[in-house]
Amino acid sequence: MKILFSKSHEWAAIEGKTARVGISDHAQKELGDLVFVNLPEVGAEVKAGEVLCDVESVKAVSDLYAPVSGKVVAVNDELEGAPELINRDAMKAWICEIEVSEVPSDLMDEEGYQKFIKG
Amino acid sequence: MSNYLSVTERETKEMLESIGVKSLDDLFDDIPKDLKLKKLGLPEGKSQQETMEFMRALSKKNKVYDVILRGAGSYDHYIPSMVKNLSSRSEFITAYTPYQAEMSQGILQAIFEYQSMICNLTGMDVSNASVYNGANAAAEAMLMCTERNRRTLITFDNIRPDTLKVLKTYAARREIKVEVLSAKDGAADLKALKAAVGEDTSCVYIEQPNYFGLLEDAEEIGKIAHEAKAKFVMGCNPISLAILRSPAECGADVAVGDGQPLGLPMAFGGPYVGFMACTNKEMRKMPGRIVGETTDHDGNRAYVLTLQAREQHIRREKAFSNICSNQAYCALVVSMYLSAMGPDGMKEVAESCVSYAHYLAAELEKIGLKRRDKGEFFHEFVTVSDIPADKILKALDKAGILGGLKLSANEILWCVTETANKAQLDRAVDVIRRVK
Amino acid sequence: MNLIFEISEPGKRCATIRKPDVGKVSIGKKYLRSEKLDLPEVSEVDFARHYTALSRRAFGVDNGFYPLGSCTMKYNPKINEEVAGLEGFTQIHPLQPESTVQGALEVMETLSGYLAEITGMDAVTLQPNAGAHGEYTGLQLIAAYHAARKDYKRTKVIVPDSAHGTNPASAVMAGFEIINVPSDEEKGVDLKALKEVVGEDTAALMLTNPTTLGLFEKNIKAISKIIHDAGGLLYYDGANLNAVMGIVRPGDMGFDVVHLNLHKTFSTPHGGGGPGSGPVGCKKELAAFLPGPLVAKNARGVYKFTESRKSIGKVASFYGNFGVYVRALAYIVTLGAEGIKSCAQHAVLNANYLKANIEDLYPTEKGRHCMHEFVVSMQELKDKTGVSAMDIAKTMIDRGYHPPTMYFPLIIHEALMFEPTETENKRTLDEVIKALREIYEEAFKDPEYMKAAPHHAQIGRPDEVKAARTPIVRYVKP
Repeated sequence: MKILFSKSHEWAAIEGKTARVGISDHAQKELGDLVFVNLPEVGAEVKAGEVLCDVESVKAVSDLYAPVSGKVVAVNDELEGAPELINRDAMKAWICEIEVSEVPSDLMDEEGYQKFIKG
Repeated sequence: MSNYLSVTERETKEMLESIGVKSLDDLFDDIPKDLKLKKLGLPEGKSQQETMEFMRALSKKNKVYDVILRGAGSYDHYIPSMVKNLSSRSEFITAYTPYQAEMSQGILQAIFEYQSMICNLTGMDVSNASVYNGANAAAEAMLMCTERNRRTLITFDNIRPDTLKVLKTYAARREIKVEVLSAKDGAADLKALKAAVGEDTSCVYIEQPNYFGLLEDAEEIGKIAHEAKAKFVMGCNPISLAILRSPAECGADVAVGDGQPLGLPMAFGGPYVGFMACTNKEMRKMPGRIVGETTDHDGNRAYVLTLQAREQHIRREKAFSNICSNQAYCALVVSMYLSAMGPDGMKEVAESCVSYAHYLAAELEKIGLKRRDKGEFFHEFVTVSDIPADKILKALDKAGILGGLKLSANEILWCVTETANKAQLDRAVDVIRRVK
Repeated sequence: MNLIFEISEPGKRCATIRKPDVGKVSIGKKYLRSEKLDLPEVSEVDFARHYTALSRRAFGVDNGFYPLGSCTMKYNPKINEEVAGLEGFTQIHPLQPESTVQGALEVMETLSGYLAEITGMDAVTLQPNAGAHGEYTGLQLIAAYHAARKDYKRTKVIVPDSAHGTNPASAVMAGFEIINVPSDEEKGVDLKALKEVVGEDTAALMLTNPTTLGLFEKNIKAISKIIHDAGGLLYYDGANLNAVMGIVRPGDMGFDVVHLNLHKTFSTPHGGGGPGSGPVGCKKELAAFLPGPLVAKNARGVYKFTESRKSIGKVASFYGNFGVYVRALAYIVTLGAEGIKSCAQHAVLNANYLKANIEDLYPTEKGRHCMHEFVVSMQELKDKTGVSAMDIAKTMIDRGYHPPTMYFPLIIHEALMFEPTETENKRTLDEVIKALREIYEEAFKDPEYMKAAPHHAQIGRPDEVKAARTPIVRYVKP
């Protein structure tokens, strides 16, 4: 399994043909206390870099972008009643699983991403 | 002339000096000179006394009837004195939207109580803080139910004409279709509905009672909608909900209606208040403000506007609805009315409406104004007769009675509420009997 | 305090109604409710005390200083309430014969005419129920106008980044796509950016003037030319008309469609969030598309409802919020031409007076006069002390003032937007100036105390995260 990050602060843990997707700890901190995760629809076709779903804090809504292209095959229902799981451990709280058709070349590994957010 | 200003000429001068300008005009130096207006073409101002005289004279040009037998979306009910009196407190009237929770607990709690009462009345899980009126509530419900691949609302030609018109306006530029089926004997035709629903149906919308006052088989309609995986939206007269099966009992996903009968005067059509309630599942798609309960940092119970990320001021072009102002003050009146009446009072009002309406229907039948439709009705019904509707209504008008609404040359839609009494109804029947 | 449900006692009665003097008729069982009707049961004194207590926990213009920017919280004259309550206005049915409601139709026709004159438009509908509703209606008119000319490619509405959220939301509801344009250094529309986005697909530009920053858009003539040359229309969001009514008219600035807010500019009360009223005016080229019915006076002086066949249809039931029109008409009749203008002048005077006396501490746009409101940025104070715009707002509550609008427009960081309105008096403004100056000093002396404000309000700061995560939106019996 390898974990890659996008410039829009999503992560994708890719194992074989599927990728679990979530948002980075940095993104979680920037967004503040999340109050709702508007999960994507299972079966939806998504393209890397396009809107995947959105998350709500009290006074803001933020779009999340698909880090990889493919089809949404599962969503993490647990987040529906407990969006705070993302604030607690963003790397553990996955949002959905995507059956990957394409991984963009500009995704970064952990080290690269840390540099990117500091840069 | 009165302009409600609060500064004297001397103070104006001091203020201009403090700002560092010579005249009021200097403050407007950003406005291009050639655009400035020479003088507004309005009459000169009046003293408050003259304004009162002027407005009173206008009000006298309207005829106030002793007896009102017309409904069709606006209903004459008794409004208890305490509702009128307590709702006229200026703190309620002159407050803004309760964005500052720490100094607006009264408004927030009032809305929370209103939401709770609407939930109890409809049986639904969640109510918003109100929308403009019943027709707009239906339109907002239509938008709520519309999905990417489900873009047709199905209804019947027995809903309020204004509601249908507003639905059509709101659908026009959203690639939403409003399919209007023909009613059978005034009521929803279930066979036709079954044939019409399909993969593209977003929701089925009916009114209970419908425009002609008839009771619909709402539960069955809900089932048909749900079998097609469409939503079921019910428009309700809130007075009738005191005795009729609630939208929740009928399986509705969204319940809407106009709250006017609950303490608001007819007032030539407004302001009224649209109520909207839905199941928990639909909560985050509901438009408009919602008040929620929480705690403050000391753990005290507190109320706030919540789930705001749904709304236009945060979601902007991605919002489900553009609604901002609602009808909060009217919602307050509604909750006062419901508190003043209580469960027993509400039931009495509803039953009184039913009894009086059925009495009038029976008496009219005796003199040849037959009911057009077979089905059961609440407090409105349609009659047909050989005597032209115009003649009947004119005769009633002369006797100070606002008769029913003319639907066609020979059809009249009547409404009777608890404001009627037997003597008045007998008098109306007597007037009609003399019409030749 | 208790909810009314919590003081409810089974068997208590408040309002009572007459027993019907005809035989009781019941409806068929299959239609009847089995669910219990769970409404409060209280006595009349319980009722009176409950609602009085609620009113004491509400804060209105009659309670004190209310400088909510972009909301125009001016005084709501009592005479307007009384006339709206006259029986001849409240006890009339919307579907009465026209001949029996000539007074009501005259109210509508006269008010429409006055609003057309104030805005420089040719025709007005009163039907929309609020500002956002007016925007929606106005944009539908624009869509209908382009469609009637078979100009179907105009699918985009341009909205400045400083606009109120209803602008883009309304345009989407009317079926348009949104193009955002940035503001320039003077906080007006960036003309260069505007030129880049206008084109054959431009349906309209929505603009507030004065802008949401309380500044007059000096380039309005240039903007109007750019939009009109491209074949688009100019939409006026009347949220800020109070600053300029009687001084300059949207119609003369080049606007084609406007909406007004009777509950802002024309003194009708806000009622805790509504009812409002959002009349829409337009130039004659668009008049045929207005929602009907409209009211016209015929040659014999009789008022009649009319409806154009090209109308976009109805946007609300009956004729909109009629009771609000009665109030607005009483207001305009009282003020007259001169009074309307002096309202604008004094609204601008009050705002500039407040601004001039705090702007050394509360920084705002330099070197120009504001209109009826101004926006300060507390970013620098926050950087120095940690005290935010929100903390200042909450500290104002402790001093008995309603805070200004916070965090709007979005393009200003740590924004506070002050709109004192023309009805505020100088003594109050002087007190507020003093208070704001003290609050600024306090931010340096005791920032922690301010961050926990308010300390003397009905409640402390509410937990909004909890409210949104686990919504409790109705009372449930324990």
